[in-house]
Formats: sequence, structure tokens, C-alpha cells
Amino acid sequence: MERARRYLWNAISVASLLALWYLGSVVASESIPGIAATLDALVVVLTTPGPYDHMFYYHVWKTAEMLFVSLAISMVAGTVVGVALGTNERLEGAVSSWIYAWLAVPSLVIVFVAAVLVGFNASSGYVAVPIVITPFVALNMWEGARNLDPQLAEMAEFFDAGRYQTFTEVIVPQLVPFLFASVRSALSIGWKITLLVEAFLVTRGVGFMFRRYFDQYDLTTMMSWLIIFVVFLVVIEYGVLAPLHERVTAWRPEADGVRVTE
Amino acid sequence: MTVAEKDEAETADSGEGQTLELRDIVKYYQKPGQGRVLVLDEIDLVVEEGSFVSLLGPSGCGKTTLMNVVSGLVEPNAGTMQRGGRDVSPDDLSLGYIFQEPRLLDWKTVAENIEFALEARDVPKSEWDERVGRYLDMVGLAEEGDNYPSRLSGGMKQRVAIARALAIEPEIMLMDEPFSSLDEITARDLRQELLDIWHRERKTVLFVTHDINEAVFLSDYIYMMSQSGEMFARRDVGIDRPRNYDDPEIAQRETELYREFHEHVVQ
Repeated sequence: MERARRYLWNAISVASLLALWYLGSVVASESIPGIAATLDALVVVLTTPGPYDHMFYYHVWKTAEMLFVSLAISMVAGTVVGVALGTNERLEGAVSSWIYAWLAVPSLVIVFVAAVLVGFNASSGYVAVPIVITPFVALNMWEGARNLDPQLAEMAEFFDAGRYQTFTEVIVPQLVPFLFASVRSALSIGWKITLLVEAFLVTRGVGFMFRRYFDQYDLTTMMSWLIIFVVFLVVIEYGVLAPLHERVTAWRPEADGVRVTE
Repeated sequence: MTVAEKDEAETADSGEGQTLELRDIVKYYQKPGQGRVLVLDEIDLVVEEGSFVSLLGPSGCGKTTLMNVVSGLVEPNAGTMQRGGRDVSPDDLSLGYIFQEPRLLDWKTVAENIEFALEARDVPKSEWDERVGRYLDMVGLAEEGDNYPSRLSGGMKQRVAIARALAIEPEIMLMDEPFSSLDEITARDLRQELLDIWHRERKTVLFVTHDINEAVFLSDYIYMMSQSGEMFARRDVGIDRPRNYDDPEIAQRETELYREFHEHVVQ
């Protein structure tokens, strides 16, 4: 029942957005593309064959490739940095202000500097995107590591749990919420930076599509590309991240089938 | 090791004299601004095998620190520990620990929490099922093995912690105010059950508490500690078991011990 009501509200909010869009496209028809026109453009993008299979498939794949490789690099690097900061006070004192400085550097500057240093090609993207999103992951994991329960560590120590057992069964489960928060923020920031790289430096990917149709003042097609990628990210969230999150946190009391025994 | 020494060692092993003796234990911490803070001031402690021993004292008197010297979580600055007349380190002792909080892993089921300890102590996997079943049954939670701790009440969580400590089949159980965060009704039930288990399993228990009534009800004898980290008395309880909460003898003993505490603290 509760779930059905949530879906209902979700549907209502999507419908309101569409209504607002429609209204906008009628009132400001010269600057906001209509829904029908956008859908037509969407069909064209989805069905047009390109040099490498379907056009949309190729470009979305290229963007996803850069995004997820960068995400993987950042998750590893950010977790190492964050956990090191959260568990070592000396390191925290020495390095923590650098994290904030790192966060303050505009991503555009990082993309440009990477292009100058690495070259005006896709490789610079694989450098720039991880550099931009790693501090966000590090910040999250740092917070997570600071919140590790010393009492559980003491318990594990008393029962002589080894390093590996302590890490996998005591430490990692405590970091799970922070890992998911990190993936989500890194994904949402990372895809924006990936688009920036593609728009400025390369000739493939969703970012490049935006630039190409921007150059042609084709707002309608830009809109249809936006829809494709937003749908892609929503599918990642609801198809992969949310079910995975629910699975690994099944032990939480607010999960379905709660049985409080007294 | 000569033959004579070996004989002696074996006698000590098999004999009844497996008493744990701590002598002249000193522990201090360096605190910024305060210099050296003495927590344990040349403490002696004798834990006879099979007995129920309490460390009683106000908060912050160092009783948990003393117990952690036994458990090995705290390294003393001076002092010796012997068992059956031979020097031992905490690693040589067979210990179970029940903390003030249950300290369960919320992401593991009740059974998996016990298996965590079994795995850590290298108990062969083939024995896990039997041990988990036996000790959960002993604490009255035979049905809860597949449940998650977050769905249990505070008292039940502490029972799981007791089962976890028992499952590694220790000779000595260390208990650090295990019932102090429970409501009194639950705590009384658990104390009674603890005494049943202690009696049946023939364990030695070292029990830390600040509750005089609890110490009198449970213990064979009680060590009393003052806030300055000094152990000032050892008192036998001397009341026959099974004991009853309503027994006026318990109330009277409690009053006597309280008075003694009070006088010592005032002086």
C-alpha cells in the first residue's frame, strides 16, 4: 500500500514536469523545444545507424566507458585516501586541508590542464575525471572511517580475529553506507565532467553530441540526448545501485518483514 | 625442560590449583597537562578456579582496566600474572569476554555472530553448527539463530553476547558490567540464568560491577576498589546458594559493604 502510494506520487511529479514542459514550449516556442518534436528527434537518434552500430549506442557506450573507468579508479583511490585519513590522526592533520583545496579547484581548470599535459584526446579524460571526483569519494570515506566503532574493533581484537577477517567482516560493513553515498555522488559529478571532456576534447560520446547539435542550434536533438543519458543514469540507480543497496543492508531494522521480538 | 620440571608442570595442569594470581599490577597513562595518571596502584588479585569473583568499585576506579590486564587488551606497566604457580600471559589463558554493550555485528545474523568468534578462534567449521545450537539454546535463544540483532531487545542481544563468549568454550569468563544498561527486571532474569550456567558449566567468572547488590547476589567473594586505583579489601559473601533476591541476608551484606566503601572513601 505504502509502496503503491509512493509510485503514485512519483507518477504525479513526472506528469507535472511534462505539463510544465508543454506549457513552456507553448509560451516560449522559439526557445523551448516541444515534447512531440523532441520525441521525434529521440526516435531519429535511437534509430539512425552510425559508422559503429547505432549512433546512440556507440556514443552512450563511449561516455559510459569513460565514466565507469573513472568511477572505478576514484573509488579505489578515494577509499584508500579517505580511510587513511580517518584512521591516522597525524596524516589527517597534515593532509586534510589539501583535500579541501583539491575540492576548490574548478573542474574546468582540471580538464584544461589535463588536456595540455596529456594531449587533446580521450586519454586526458581518463586523467581529468578521476582527479575531479576522487576528493568527493575521499571526503565520504574519510567521514565513514572516522565513524568506525572502536568497541567493535576491540571485540574483534579480543576474539583474535585476523586482519583479513576484521577488514571484511567488521570494517567494510560499517563503510557500506558511505561506499554507496560515494558511488552516487561520484557518478553524478563524474558524468558532468565526462561530458565537459567530450565537448571540449574529443569527437565521440554524449558530450560531443551536445556540442555538435549546439553548434547547429538544434536544441531539440540536444534535448533528446539529454533524455537518453538521464534515463541511462536513472536505470543505473534503480536497476543496479538501489537493489544492491537494499540487499547488503537487509539487516537494518527498517527493512521489510521487520520482526521486533521483546 | 627437565623431567622433574615437566612432572611439576603436568601436576600443575591437572591439579586443582589453577588459581589465577595477579601481583603488584601497576598501570598508568601519560595524559597531556596532567602528567602521569595512576590507574592501578600495585594491585593484587586472586581468582580461584571455578569461583565467581567480582571487582566492585565506583565508576572510573580502574576495575575495567584491571580486567583488561587479564584479557590482554591492556598492557600493564609492572606486575606479574601467574596461573597454577606458573607465569602466564593473557595469550595462555582461555578467556571469554562479555562487554558492557553486546558489541554484536548488526549485519550478521545471531548465528553468524557466534560463528565470527568461532572462526576467529580457529574452531573447525564442522563443529560450528553444533556449538551455535548448543549455546544459543543455553541462553534461551534457540529460535533466533537466523534473526538479526537489530530486531532483538537489549536483553536478548546481551544473551547473544553471552552465547558468543561461551561458544569458544573458555575456562574463565570476563564480564564487564554486562547488565548495567538493561532494565532491572531483565537484568535480574539474566543474573539468575548466568548463575545457572556458571554452576552447570563449571566456569570461573571475573565480574566487574559498580552495583553492590549485584555483586553480593552473584559472587563468592568481592574485591573492593577505590577511586584512586587502589584495591582496599577482599570480602567473602558467605551466603549459601541458591540465593534469593528477597533474602534479608543479602540486604544486610549489601549494607555492610556499602558502609565499608563509604568509610574508606571518606577517609
